[in-house]
Amino acid sequence: MVLVAAVTVATAVLAVTNQLQLYIHPRYILFTVIMVAIGGVVLVASLIARSAGQEDSEETPGRASRAFSYIGLVLAAALAVGMLALPPATLTSATAQQRDVSSTTVGADTQDAAAVASAPAAAFSSFTVIDWASLLRQTTDVSFYRDKPVSVVGFIVPDSEDPDNVFYVSRFFVTCCAVDAQPTGIPIYLPDWSATFDADAWVQVSGTFETNPSSASTQPLAVQPSEITPVEQPSDPYLY
Amino acid sequence: MVWLVVGVLGIAALLVLRFAVEPAALPNRLQDLLTLSISVIVESLPFVILGILLSIVVQVWLPEGLLMRYLPRNPVARRFCISLFGIALPVCECGNVPLARGLIVGGFTVPESMTFLLAAPIINPITIITTHQAFGFDDGILVARIIGGLAIANIIGWLYSRHARPYELLTPKFAAECARAEGDDHHHSRWGKSLDIFVRESSAIMPALFIGALAAGAIQVLVPREVLVSLGSNPLWSVLAMMVLAFVIAVCSNVDAFFILPFASTFLPGSIVTFLVFGPIIDIKMLAMLRTTFTTRVLIQLTVMVGLLSALLGLVVNVVA
Repeated sequence: MVLVAAVTVATAVLAVTNQLQLYIHPRYILFTVIMVAIGGVVLVASLIARSAGQEDSEETPGRASRAFSYIGLVLAAALAVGMLALPPATLTSATAQQRDVSSTTVGADTQDAAAVASAPAAAFSSFTVIDWASLLRQTTDVSFYRDKPVSVVGFIVPDSEDPDNVFYVSRFFVTCCAVDAQPTGIPIYLPDWSATFDADAWVQVSGTFETNPSSASTQPLAVQPSEITPVEQPSDPYLY
Repeated sequence: MVWLVVGVLGIAALLVLRFAVEPAALPNRLQDLLTLSISVIVESLPFVILGILLSIVVQVWLPEGLLMRYLPRNPVARRFCISLFGIALPVCECGNVPLARGLIVGGFTVPESMTFLLAAPIINPITIITTHQAFGFDDGILVARIIGGLAIANIIGWLYSRHARPYELLTPKFAAECARAEGDDHHHSRWGKSLDIFVRESSAIMPALFIGALAAGAIQVLVPREVLVSLGSNPLWSVLAMMVLAFVIAVCSNVDAFFILPFASTFLPGSIVTFLVFGPIIDIKMLAMLRTTFTTRVLIQLTVMVGLLSALLGLVVNVVA
């Protein structure tokens, strides 16, 4: 019962503070809010019904594996406490590295190289890391990227092959909820970047794709940054 | 009652803590574990509530025996009809657990309810629509998913219908609840009974959901995903890798097609089908939730059987496609 109340309250708080999108895709928010509201009403009703003197039908715990169920209950309670007491957060670079930023095939068809080839330069300012990553998979011909300025926002994930000189500007791509978040990023070449920036920091990067000077990295192209500025984490950090 | 007051005060105190205190930053992995687990809960919660509400409708508000009356008498045909119930219910796997429990309490046999439970997440309308959006009719993935899911549910329902004492499949606690419901006392109002069921079901399901979510989050933080993805192009290993992925990822059946779509280019179609059939029925979160209803022994049998059948299905699709 207490768990139900905890999760209902926690979800309601998330909904009110507009932070549900840290956990689920925006298209599910309405459904979630409606069901949680119904759940909340029923919950309050059953609390009232109970205190109005109906008999308590609390079951005695099953004889088997009682210790196990206590451990489970403690874990569940710990999670509930974490859910209530800690502010929500996005996934970090630890998970991004776990899920392999460079080899992801998310949004394979978001941008078509042939269609993009002749687009005016202004069109690229709205391109996200997903759009660029999608183009990178289609062509690594450096002349294709001439006159196509890159300007993207994302968080820093160190490259696994050349962590000193290359990092990925990354975003998580969410189809349903944070569980299925797929990291996507584009490589940035900046020798000794960690002297200036930390992993997980949110940055805005401008520049153009050039042949990757790093010998350790297997990425043929990387952005030569003309400007990297730290930015605040966007209010909806995931891409959909 | 005392515990309830303690609980309410505790929740309030924790909320105050959240907004009043500047939090210490957690290590990345712990933070991600928390984020992932909460994400599973927030995603499943509305479906669980919907499932409990539907379960209440079946148990309390539908005229007694209404569903029973129109079902065929022949057990095989009957289970097949029950396995089609899901078409009308937009509830994914976590919501089906309370509903399947409601069906047992409402008089269905255990194998019948199990048939429903296994088939419903795969043939529910949202799942079919999203699978079609993701894959169209390419490589027979959609067709293989629907037919395969129905076949597996019916085969397993049939196997368990051979069991001499089906009530032994249930946990003693849940079996006792069913027995109590049969000798029902009629002096509760319908509303009172509905509230009772809500309280009972949510206190049974919620801890299981929390533990399942925590396990799913922990595995995701600890197991690197590329290990699985690198197995993608081998006909046999790709199928096994997808089963492990489905088990670990515990994503809702309504959206798993979108989740797996990016992998479609590296994995063979048969392994995708295996993911789409195995995942909705068995995953780490589902096992925790099913444990509220079935004995551990049954769950192990279920996992092995569904695993073998969906692997077979995947291999057949790999060979044919």
